[in-house]
Amino acid sequence: MSIIIRGARLIDPSKQLDQVTDLHIKDSHIQAIGNLTGVRAASDIDAKGMILSPSFVDLHTCLRDLNQIQKGTIASETQAAASAGFTHLCPSPDTQPCSDAGSVISMIKNKVAAAGFCDLLPVAALTKDLKGTQLSNMESLSRAGCIGFSNASYDISDNTVLLRCYEYAATFGLKVFVQAQDQQLGDGHMHAGPTATRMGLDGIPVVAETLSISRHLQFMQHTGVSGHFNQLTSAAGVALIRQAKAQGMNITADVGIAHLCFTDTAIEGYRSQYHVQPPLRAESDRKALLAGIKDGTLDAICSAHQPHESAAKCAPFAATATGMAIYDMLVPLIQGLVAAEDLTWALAIQALSSNSATIALGKTTSLAIGEEANLTLIDPSHPWTLNSSSQLSRGTNQALANQQLKARVKLTIKGGLTSYIM
Amino acid sequence: MSNLADLQLTKSGELRHFLTPEGLDRLMLERILDTADSFVVVGNQEVKKVPLLRGRTVVNLFFENSTRTRSTFELAAKRLSADVLTLDIKTSATSKGESLLDTLQNLRAMHSDMFVVRHGDSGAAHFIASQVTPDVAIINAGDGRHAHPTQAMLDMLTIRRNKGYFESLSVAIVGDILHSRVARDQIHALKTLGCSDIRLVGPNTLMPQAIDSMGVTTHNNMDSGIDGVDVVIMLRLQTERMDSAFLPSAGEYFRLYGLTTERLAQAKPDAIVMHPGPINRGIEIESAVADGPQSMILNQVGYGIALRMAVMSMAMSGQMQQRQAQANTPSSLTGKLRP
Repeated sequence: MSIIIRGARLIDPSKQLDQVTDLHIKDSHIQAIGNLTGVRAASDIDAKGMILSPSFVDLHTCLRDLNQIQKGTIASETQAAASAGFTHLCPSPDTQPCSDAGSVISMIKNKVAAAGFCDLLPVAALTKDLKGTQLSNMESLSRAGCIGFSNASYDISDNTVLLRCYEYAATFGLKVFVQAQDQQLGDGHMHAGPTATRMGLDGIPVVAETLSISRHLQFMQHTGVSGHFNQLTSAAGVALIRQAKAQGMNITADVGIAHLCFTDTAIEGYRSQYHVQPPLRAESDRKALLAGIKDGTLDAICSAHQPHESAAKCAPFAATATGMAIYDMLVPLIQGLVAAEDLTWALAIQALSSNSATIALGKTTSLAIGEEANLTLIDPSHPWTLNSSSQLSRGTNQALANQQLKARVKLTIKGGLTSYIM
Repeated sequence: MSNLADLQLTKSGELRHFLTPEGLDRLMLERILDTADSFVVVGNQEVKKVPLLRGRTVVNLFFENSTRTRSTFELAAKRLSADVLTLDIKTSATSKGESLLDTLQNLRAMHSDMFVVRHGDSGAAHFIASQVTPDVAIINAGDGRHAHPTQAMLDMLTIRRNKGYFESLSVAIVGDILHSRVARDQIHALKTLGCSDIRLVGPNTLMPQAIDSMGVTTHNNMDSGIDGVDVVIMLRLQTERMDSAFLPSAGEYFRLYGLTTERLAQAKPDAIVMHPGPINRGIEIESAVADGPQSMILNQVGYGIALRMAVMSMAMSGQMQQRQAQANTPSSLTGKLRP
């Protein structure tokens, strides 16, 4: 199959590329980049005004399925991911049943492969059933293709167990993913601040995050494990990561797109669509997270996609499920950040593609001749409305439902083949 | 908060739900107090009933234990001549796995006109009014640690009947602010009614984060906190706070924050003492003060019935007007004319 994409703005920060030109894909690989006037292909796409980048890699997502098909199926959620420009997904191990066994991982892998929209880079459970008491079969799970180990949102409170998790991971050179939030201090419903106080909701203080980051950094330093922090939320958390990186520690970190776009005040009126864990924090934290992306303290942006059925969000705030369905609104959210001059397309693409790929795959995906074609084409000015007929995720917890949005993915190419076309 | 006003008021500005004083203007709060004043008189009559809610069904939905609030709401509804159904939800539907949503929709299908709701989750009454049964008048009888508007407004009634005004008053609220749904609503109501010196007194463990953003001052020291105030509102201290490391002991708490006769002397000589009840004698308040001449604690209970009669009659009237207005809209008329 041969595709020519003409006149797009090619952005690949890993190659310092930002240029309006043409790109030719042939036999699943990038054949040529440059002025291709006169060259013909089976598929010829006029992409003037659009942005072409390496495809996106999601370091944290929930695909549901298995025992949670009311929230989403692997087919629906991986298709939604492809429509957001992703080709590779790292699902969190808090599946039902838990991703702590090779059999569960292969079941998910088979379903993802059968759907064909994305490739799976699973993160397996660090402890059995995420209970924080017994180590999972990390070496076997790594052989089964798991790229790292995480205890998802379940903190391991026993320091002895946590030390052993790190020691065992170090034995086999395995990566540990961390969602840093202290269990006891994290027992609340939103950021501890003026809004939580006024609404009478239990607050989660910033120290719930910083205490956990410091604790995990100590174990990483002690054992030499390479660690990745998922979903940072606070200015103080970013500062700790910055400091650890300056000391030469082998760590990386990401932020969820929601935390770059929203703050705790969005919850005003008990809006359960903004009930997420870890919580949305103050505007000063949001600014610090953006600064972290700009100076490289935060390597990546993840979706933290968590689809839910409508009943899960229809209750008094504290009783509602946490999480947002992100995939359908990811690109409009990025466009909003670019329009507000909070971020540039180049920074966003670096955080969603090359940096995420390096963390998950150990190599970057890039726009270079000879590379396998894994590409995302975005129309940044496409107007549309997010509603039940336009969304692909099964999740009804769409914070921007029924709003006029701008920007949409036009085309996603995975391994040279079209995985999504608008 | 205009969205809180939109939710609680009809299009013509009448009360139809009462969830929190936040978002309501001074005129509305004063109307509630004026209406309550008129019902205080009813309570003193030999025949205490008025027919304002005759033929209306009021359902008391208590998802949490309550004796005082529940009985005063029941009495208030009966004095307004309503048909009253009181449900102890803990032992009924929800224990069989029925969701809050389904329980309420079933009660609505029985043509209930008003729900009086007490629930352990902050925002529960807000959720019901906005998403479940917007056409049933909702009175918040306490939601989590968020709001308890009828208690806060009966406190305002007590202050106004004693002091006559709010503008130049100094009010101290003492004790467990963190867990208190009353304190938040008292702050909103006092500020809206013109009071500018609101002091919160307690240790940091019982003080919510960033509470000063609500326009109050915080005091760790009881003596300076109640120095020269006109009103001292003591909050109830749940004994389980001692077990969960908020406080070292009842004894130390009483020594530091208990209201004694000597301490009360720091306040103005004509200062009044209030407490939402039930009181813990010897933990937050000394018996001599609780039973003393400056105590308004029992008056508050009596005013509670009048205040609840006021908001119930106002919200029912607003809700009926809203229903009437909706019934008269062109779309519903077309619907009726359809063969």
